[in-house]
Amino acid sequence: MFKSIEDFLDALKNEMKDADPALVQDALADAREHLTMALKASKEKQPEISEADALQTIIEGYGSPEETASAYKEVERRTSPVLSQALKPQSILGRFFGVYLDPRAWGALLYMLIAFVTGVFYFSWAVTGVSVSLSFLIFIFGFPVALLFLISIRGLALLEGRLVEALLGIRMPRRPLFTHQGMKWLDRLKTLLQDRQTWLMLLYMVVQFVLGIVYFVLIVTVLSFSLAFIAIPVLQEVFHQGAIMWGSGIRYAFPTWTYPLWVIGGFLLWTSFMNIARGVGQLHGKFAKWILVGE
Amino acid sequence: MVEIGTHTKKFQKELNAGTSSLVLLSVMSRSDEPMYGYQIAKMLEESAPDIPMMKQGTLYPVLRSLEENGLLESTVEPSVSGPPRRYYKITKDGRAALDEWMELWKQTKKFVDSILKG
Repeated sequence: MFKSIEDFLDALKNEMKDADPALVQDALADAREHLTMALKASKEKQPEISEADALQTIIEGYGSPEETASAYKEVERRTSPVLSQALKPQSILGRFFGVYLDPRAWGALLYMLIAFVTGVFYFSWAVTGVSVSLSFLIFIFGFPVALLFLISIRGLALLEGRLVEALLGIRMPRRPLFTHQGMKWLDRLKTLLQDRQTWLMLLYMVVQFVLGIVYFVLIVTVLSFSLAFIAIPVLQEVFHQGAIMWGSGIRYAFPTWTYPLWVIGGFLLWTSFMNIARGVGQLHGKFAKWILVGE
Repeated sequence: MVEIGTHTKKFQKELNAGTSSLVLLSVMSRSDEPMYGYQIAKMLEESAPDIPMMKQGTLYPVLRSLEENGLLESTVEPSVSGPPRRYYKITKDGRAALDEWMELWKQTKKFVDSILKG
């Protein structure tokens, strides 16, 4: 029925075509691991049997693509991603202020801060890797360097996926990307270079640099404005400082009756930002999934 | 007859949904070394060769969900000849859960048996 492991994997992929792409990757990686091991064991035990016959016995024990696909879907249905069971208050006001209880909003905030560091790292890694690989290509050892760099991108993409799933609650792959095994390294380099996914991942690493800076600047700016607004009464009444001061001694203090407005304004500003951050987090998650998983 | 067959199949699937977690945790608790999927499947096959209860492919998603719930932990190790292997190991929480599950299984078995006997 199936001539090779790749045949089975293709059938499994086809069987799961309406499932989450991240789940498909997991299922393919598991099946590849199992079937390769089983086929090797069977070859050692009975070398005279053809690969197709051996595979048929193995798949009888492993389960058809249909059975395997349904097992994954079944388990996935029972376990949802970490942050998906968020609280959902009904009214608009409740939803607006309920953001403080929503783990996705805090996760998004944390992700946006971390994106600054990871963005800088990805960018440096991508730029260094590309330039080192390109310049070394005139030597024979440039090829393994390029191959290692491209593989490292896959690894980083997987890592970024784990970060996105943990903090933004978007389902991402838990296994390395599906690639054909048993190739020579030169062929491997060729496949990696021809794979659209590799270039998209590289693009993501560059874009993440810009996004990371934007996110970071946004958080720091909005947080300082909100805190400054809330601090105006304390600043003026306790420390007797003007809210606006120039070096030359000109100072302006806000009248007392505006205090509640500043405090409420600062609080509302931060609350709105939390709502925006949650939205940005979800958008970023979708973007990451689109680029890194190829949905 | 076809209909009875499908009913039985469905019933078996429902039974396996619960027992496979218990079986896998129990296998993992007996091994000190981390094990990968194929090893676990082989071990199950060898310990009960005449009773083909579950397809090996259905074990993997269960392993993964046990890991997600913190009952198992895993590491990926590259292998020389083929795809990387995922090694699973039972956690402290996993051992605690297994003790409770075994107790629960004994009770369930006793209950079902006594009902079936009438």
